[in-house]
Formats: sequence, structure tokens, C-alpha cells
Amino acid sequence: MRFELFIAARYLRARRRQAVVGLITLISVIGVAAGVASLIIALAITNGMRRDLQDRLVGSTAHVLLMKTAGDGIDNWRPLLDKLQHQPHVLAAAPGLYGQVLISRGPRSGGALIKGILPDDELKTGNLLQSIKQGSYGELQPTTLIPNPSPLIPKPIVIGQDLATTLGAEVGDSLLVTSPQGELTPLGLIPRYEHFRVVGIFNSGFYQYDSSYAFMRLADAQHLFSEPDVISVISFKLDDLYKAQQVGHALEQVAGNGFQATNWMEQNRELFRALKLEQVVTFIVLALIVVVAALNILIALTMMVMEKTRDIAVMMSFGVDASQIRRIFLAQGLLISGIGTVLGLVVGYAASLAGSHYKFIQLDASIYSIDYLPFAPRIIDALAVAALSLITALLATLYPSHSAASVLPAEALRYE
Amino acid sequence: MATSSPILRAEALEKTYPPLTSGAPGLTLFRDLSLEVAPGEMVAVVGQSGAGKSTLLHLMAALDRPTTGNVYVGETEVTALTPRQQSAFRNRQIGYVWQFHYLLPEFTALENAAMPLLARGVAKSEALAAAETWLARVGLAGRGHHRSGELSGGEQQRVSIARALVTQPRLLLADEPTGDLDTTTSTQVFELLQQLHREQGLASLIVTHNLDFAARCDRVLRLKGGQLHPA
Ligand SMILES: Nc1ncnc2c1ncn2[C@@H]1O[C@H](COP(=O)(O)OP(=O)(O)OP(=O)(O)O)[C@@H](O)[C@H]1O
Ligand SMILES: [Mg+2]
Repeated sequence: MRFELFIAARYLRARRRQAVVGLITLISVIGVAAGVASLIIALAITNGMRRDLQDRLVGSTAHVLLMKTAGDGIDNWRPLLDKLQHQPHVLAAAPGLYGQVLISRGPRSGGALIKGILPDDELKTGNLLQSIKQGSYGELQPTTLIPNPSPLIPKPIVIGQDLATTLGAEVGDSLLVTSPQGELTPLGLIPRYEHFRVVGIFNSGFYQYDSSYAFMRLADAQHLFSEPDVISVISFKLDDLYKAQQVGHALEQVAGNGFQATNWMEQNRELFRALKLEQVVTFIVLALIVVVAALNILIALTMMVMEKTRDIAVMMSFGVDASQIRRIFLAQGLLISGIGTVLGLVVGYAASLAGSHYKFIQLDASIYSIDYLPFAPRIIDALAVAALSLITALLATLYPSHSAASVLPAEALRYE
Repeated sequence: MATSSPILRAEALEKTYPPLTSGAPGLTLFRDLSLEVAPGEMVAVVGQSGAGKSTLLHLMAALDRPTTGNVYVGETEVTALTPRQQSAFRNRQIGYVWQFHYLLPEFTALENAAMPLLARGVAKSEALAAAETWLARVGLAGRGHHRSGELSGGEQQRVSIARALVTQPRLLLADEPTGDLDTTTSTQVFELLQQLHREQGLASLIVTHNLDFAARCDRVLRLKGGQLHPA
């Protein structure tokens, strides 16, 4: 193979008798590089998107959620929570009471999902409260810890950044929270409403939460929804987020009849499936560039074989075997592809790393739920892309190297 | 001379090209052609253009196959070799010089001369050293770094002679080796061939149109009517 590489490498570098062959060779190298770089960058983006979404989702939400099958509240939840907290793989558990409300401030209003919480527990299972950018969650501590200074001061609430923008609300502003689960009065069912005071605004960068989540004290939520001391959900943080399924089942067993667990994967299955599909489609579409690049290699090599027919015949006349001739052009194709692939990998990786470092592509968070384009290049993608590139190049060399090996020296050298 | 067993032996060769259009008669170049070249013998082949001289050399070097008949080089039955064996045979036993130098333009004179050894798998340093020696023997000591484009016609042909002999073959086949050169250079190149033939103890078969050169060989054969006749 040393001889074949020696010849192939020299052919690649040498000035051409026909300039067009050199030009097409150059175009082939650039084509391969462009295809490989595009694939690396695109895969880094889809991958970054998925990783980013997953991190945020898993960070913001609990790994496992446990609720009643019937959808009614969990009463006498404290001993249950205590028991479940000590199950294997469970790092923390937090009670929560969810309810749908309408929040309004003057003429502006928006729908929101209220979560009544105990902040100390909530912090251990999700990080939305940590992303508070204005104000703090301090006032969400139960009144047993911080007594309400005066019943005249509205109760505290923490809302998401986008919801705050919708309402035009800032920390300290008063909001009217209306629950459809109203009170039965002699006049019929009337919605229950109450004033709350914004004590914190969080910004998770996750539009789904920032636009519709609001936190209040568990007791305040129970009061607002006219519930006794019940909760609707127990959230769990695990030591291994990929054990969510298995731990969920175990928790169902321990909790007893009527309980049902779900997890972050199940809740976002459609999302992750869509992301996976997006990645596959991106790969296929961009792989076409690599295929076109391989066609360039085919053309470049075919022209080179035509240009070199006489030299091939001469080599055969002094004993170079047809199989060696074939390998010369195979090596030639692989050199073109190899150089292009390495070039493409370097460019693709450099662009991806620069992209993830400088975050230079800003996104509209309300559309993409993240504020910049994430890049996460992976070694496995690089290997797959390099393999694809080299294999297509290998296929492209089959025809030209075969035709080179089929040169009949006596014919090729007869009329010169 | 006649007693030693020949290096090259061709028996009852026939070469017929099929007709280009069906119905027309094919072209028969050789009919029952026989040839023997003894070790150390330098044989000239002359004949009209189109007589088949080049084709005859091709058959000797396994670059082409006869329609019938056998070619032997030493103990090797050339006409029975597989393609892979043919390559090895050409590499080890044949030195071939053409009318045109056919040097590979991307390589230096030294690399060109070393090429048959490199193709055989000889280590590069060893092959280049051998090529250097041969360049000196053809009168091009120290000129190895030139590309073929930077050499004169005579020098190019000398490099191609070095390339033909670097493998130390037993049989030298030369097809009008001076056909492209001016008179003075022709004479120099022919005399170089003669000298190397003697020094290497080769068996040589030289096709030439130059009757003066032919006369300086051990034997002259004329290819006519598909057979070789002493001339
Ligand atoms: N593949 C082929 N098919 C048909 N005819 C062929 C083929 N190859 C060679 N010939 C014919 O065989 C004849 C002999 O050709 P060859 O080149 O051996 O002649 P030559 O004696 O070397 O001539 P010159 O002195 O001009 O070099 C020519 O007439 C040529 O046209
Ligand atoms: Mg000829």
C-alpha cells in the first residue's frame, strides 16, 4: 500500500496537465468539507436543543409525579410524603396543589397554573424558584414560620417573567386571582377571587413555565380553591433521572391503591420524539451534500483516470499489478475525502464550539422556549459523519478505480 | 552460442485480430512465427511499418496474448501466466524501452528510475539508492532531482533505460528506442544500450528502423509476411 499511497499523494499535489482536473479535485475537497461541516453543525444544534430542553425540563419539573388516579386530592398527605421520601433513589419529595386560575391586573389578564407549595421542599425537587430574578420567594414560607403581618396586606405570589409582562406587573403590584372552583352560594356557584401581591418574578428561560406558572403558599392555595388540607401531587427528585420509570412504579406500590405515577419522559414523550425525528431528517437532508461531494470525487477521479491512461499503461508495463492500480485511485479518492472530512470536522467543530461559547445566535424565547441557539457537538456524531463521508467516497472510487485497472497497456501505448 | 539454452523462445506464434466489421477478413499478423534469443545475444528486428514488430514485443512481455503458440522466457511459460503472474514476470524479468520515454511527469528522474522497485515493495531508500546507481550508469549522475520536463530528449530516454534495467532483468525489449531522437543522440543512446547489454549479460531484442544500428547487432531478423527471416 506504500507504493499506491506514494503515487496517489503525488498525483493529488502535482500540477495538472489539464487544469480542470485539479479544479474539480479542489471542488471535491471543498464539497466534502462543506457537507461534513454542515452535518456537524446541524447535529450539534439539534443535539444542543435536545440537551438544553431536557436539562431545563428536568431541572424545572420533578423527575416523578405521584397523584391520585381519580384526580381528587391526597388528604392526610404528611405521613405518606414522609414514607415515600425514604424510598430508594428518592432524593427529595415535595407536596403541591395545582389549580387553574385567571390572573388580572386592571384591564390585563392571563390564565395561569397555580402551584401551592412549601418552598423548602419545592426547592429540592425543581429549580423554578431559584430562577427568581426580581424579588424573592422568602414570603412564600408557611405562616407558621413567618406570620402574616396584617390581614390587610394581600398574600404573596411569585409569577413567571412572561406572565408578568403580559399583566404589566412588577414586584409589589397587586393582582386579582380568580378561581373557577368557586363557592356555592344562594346565588349559585360564584367564582372565588382574592388579591395577591407579587413578591417575586422568576425567569427560567422556559416559555412554558415563564408564561403560565405562579407559586403561592400551600395554605393560601388550599384556601383559594376552597380545599381542606389536601394536595394534588407529590413531586420527586431522583438520584438517577433515567430510573424515573422504575422508581415511579415502586412509589405507586408503596403509596397503595388509587395512586398513579408519571415521569418527565412520559410527560414530554411527544417533544422528545419530535426532536429525534428532527435530528434524523436533518441528517438525511444534509447527507445529500456529502453524496453530491462523493459525485464530485467520482467525476474528478474519472477525469484523472482518462488523463493518466498512458501512465497507467506504462506502470503496468514495468510490472505494477492491476490491483495496485485500483488501489492507487482508491487511495486517491480516500485522500480527497479524508482531507475534506478532516477539514469539515475542524470547521464544524470550531463553529459549534464558538457557537456554544459566544451564544451569538439569539432566539425569540417566546417561540423557542430558550433564548439562544445551543450547540452540543458529540464525538459519536463526528464518527458517524466521518464514516458516512468516507464510505460514500469509497463507493465513488469503485467505478474510476475499476476502469483504471482495466486499462490494456498494449492498446493504450500503441499509438503515441 | 547456439549450444546454451535460449533466454527467449517463441514457438508457432499466430496473432489474428478479429475483423472490425463482421464478414470482412480479420488481420493476421503472425503465422507460425518462431524465435530464439540466446543469453548475451543482441537481436535486431526490422520490418515495414505495420508489419507487427511492436505487437511481437508485446507478446514477449505478456502485454498481449498470441492467438495460438507459446512464448518462454527462461523456464517461464509466458503465455500460461495469470494476470497477476504476468505483472510479477514483467517486473522481474523484462526491461522495456519504448520509442517515447514515457516517464511519469509528476515524479523526478530518480523516482522514475526507482519506480519498478517501489512497485515491487522494495524499501524507498534502497530503491532510490539503486536508481541513483543506474542514473550514474546511463550518464546522469547527479541529475536525479529533475522532472522529466526539465530533461532533453536523450536524457529522458536514458532515464527510461535506467528504469528498464534497475530491476536487473534478463531480457531487454526495446521498441525503436532511438526513433524520437536526432542522429547524434540516437547514436549515443544506441551505444549506451549496447554497452549495458554487454555489461549486464542481457538478451536483447531491439526493434529499429535504423539499418546501421541493426547491422551492429549480433543478428538481424526481418519481420515479413508474418514470419521472421534472417536478413
Ligand atoms: N487491437 C487491434 N485490432 C486490430 N488491428 C490491430 C490492433 N492492434 C494492432 N493492430 C494492427 O496490427 C498491425 C501491426 O501493428 P504494430 O504496431 O505491431 O506494427 P509495427 O510493426 O510496430 O509498426 P511501426 O513500425 O509503425 O511501429 C497494424 O496494422 C495495426 O493496425
Ligand atoms: Mg511499432
